[in-house]
Amino acid sequence: MKAVHYGRRALVAAAFIAACGGAWAQSAVKLGLIAPTKSLVGKQMVQGAQLAAELINADGGILGGRKIELITYDTNFQPNEGVAVTQRLLTQDGVKVIVGEISSTVALATLQLARASNAVFIAAVPKHPDVTKSGYDKVFRLNSTTEMDGEFITRLKADAKVQRVAVIAENSDFGRVTIDGLKAQLGNRVVMADTYEMTQSEFSTLVTKAKAAGADTICVAGSNMEQYGNILRLQDELKLTARRCVMPGILNSRGVQIAGKGAEGAFSADIYVPSLQTPLNKRFVDAYQAKFKETPEKIEVLGFESVWLAAQAMQKAGTADDAAKIAQALHANSWESPRGKVTFDASGQALAGGLLHLVVKDGKIVTTK
Amino acid sequence: MELAAQQIVNGLSAGMAYALVALGLTLIFGVLHVINFAHGEFYMLGGLAAVVAVRILGLPYLLVLPLVPLVLALVGLLVERLSVGPLLPRRDGLSDALLATYAVSLLLADGVLALRGPAPERIDGLEGSLQLGSIIIGHQRLFVFVVGLLGIAALDYMLRRTRFGKQMRAVAQNRFAAQVVGIDVKAMGQRTFMLGAAIAGLAGALLVPISQFTPLMGHNVVIKAFVVVVIGGMGSVAGAVVCGLALGVLEALLGLMLPEGFTTALVYSLLLLTLLLRPQGLFGKVAR
Repeated sequence: MKAVHYGRRALVAAAFIAACGGAWAQSAVKLGLIAPTKSLVGKQMVQGAQLAAELINADGGILGGRKIELITYDTNFQPNEGVAVTQRLLTQDGVKVIVGEISSTVALATLQLARASNAVFIAAVPKHPDVTKSGYDKVFRLNSTTEMDGEFITRLKADAKVQRVAVIAENSDFGRVTIDGLKAQLGNRVVMADTYEMTQSEFSTLVTKAKAAGADTICVAGSNMEQYGNILRLQDELKLTARRCVMPGILNSRGVQIAGKGAEGAFSADIYVPSLQTPLNKRFVDAYQAKFKETPEKIEVLGFESVWLAAQAMQKAGTADDAAKIAQALHANSWESPRGKVTFDASGQALAGGLLHLVVKDGKIVTTK
Repeated sequence: MELAAQQIVNGLSAGMAYALVALGLTLIFGVLHVINFAHGEFYMLGGLAAVVAVRILGLPYLLVLPLVPLVLALVGLLVERLSVGPLLPRRDGLSDALLATYAVSLLLADGVLALRGPAPERIDGLEGSLQLGSIIIGHQRLFVFVVGLLGIAALDYMLRRTRFGKQMRAVAQNRFAAQVVGIDVKAMGQRTFMLGAAIAGLAGALLVPISQFTPLMGHNVVIKAFVVVVIGGMGSVAGAVVCGLALGVLEALLGLMLPEGFTTALVYSLLLLTLLLRPQGLFGKVAR
């Protein structure tokens, strides 16, 4: 009798342990995602990232069926918050790979922490060149830099009709590096350069200043579509005839909506449009439209790419915890993304196709030569 | 010169928004002696109400405008009942109420953010602009200024000539004495809160066509409103109006010469100076 009891208990215990062991082997791969979630641009990036995680998990996950789990924190364009949540991700949540972010200012701060903890950081949207200039071998950046967008400024420079340029930029690393770049390239053709705060909502002063400076072209540089949209709208309201220039990487359909008539004829450039013909892009756009009822644009695709590439790299490296191997895999291979083939140079900068020139016609963003 | 004139015009509509938000804040302080940290959210909810009414209910903007203060008065009543009224009788009632209104501010802003998402929203107000010589005034900006002036005139009349207004001033002057002469100070407190919320809500609805609705728009405006209230004198209606308009114009004019960051720094320096040199503000209290 006793032997049978022990036998049954042992069987139950063994089954329990096997079940637990099985669950442990299938534990989720945690990926840290940071973004200014309270802003629309941050939300768009997060949605792209979430879609990537969903598609990967639907495809069967990585590393033998493990699912991707995104741990998302808000950084609110503040470097101190970026540092705080990164700290949390690295210590409390135990992630080895952090992806995302919009703000260069936050990314530059977060990068230091990632470096100190030897974690991989894939910056999705920051454009400031310094993000990939620290010499750290585990930082990657998906967006083009303000330097790489130089082609856009070269075109401006070559345009004889562009003689008096006013620059209105957000007061951040991105805004200031944009102003510096324009001043360096255009010299004293820049007749006015001023910044606005990230929390500002009243722009009539700045636009009036640009008008007073006699600008024939007004270049706006800001990540928040509420703000640059408002500035464009004001250019129409205050009846400015200056050319409407939106710095590369910023223009999206929401901003155009907010700008109303002010967006008409605005020109810009970017690295992605939803109509790109690549196999993965069709899947991405269709899935995004199905899930979020909106057409994805550059911000969404970079959010998607940050999670997608992180997962592919983990799969290729055969590990979710060895940051060195994951980083090496990212450097050594070429990856398929909705925007085509992506590779990384030695500094971690993504290289993928060229700049597409855009213009707003009848309220829609279209590519142009 | 024309540039300065254009800037003054730009500044007046921004200043009117500050004045309207500061008005509610100063009334609440004058009567209840409570610093209402949720005031910016009343402004935001006014904008939200306008957006919802126009976008979802399909009502015309001009019809929505008079309805928004009514809705916000109800919201004000709710906030007062939950976070101010019950706390005031306590020993540290004023500090408790301050903290409670701060909590309400976070609750409302994050609540709207969670329910609606961060997307900004625009509705059309009065589109187009007027050109007077070389000065261009957007129709909506002109409208904001005119409606604001009418609102302030109505408020002034109410405070001076109506029974309700006199009772409000009595409570602001001396709560105990007002109780002694039979004024229901608790009800006055509630109604003042409702009035303050209504005015802030109206400001929000007026400004949405100009600067879009975002769930965090209250945070940014309330700081300016506090500056206006302190410089103008806490509890002074005239102070809120004059200093609100002056702040808008000052920012617009300074913005011509200095980068925006400096303008903000200068404004806060004025705040500091006022607190150091004339802490009661530039104008008298509601009671006088």
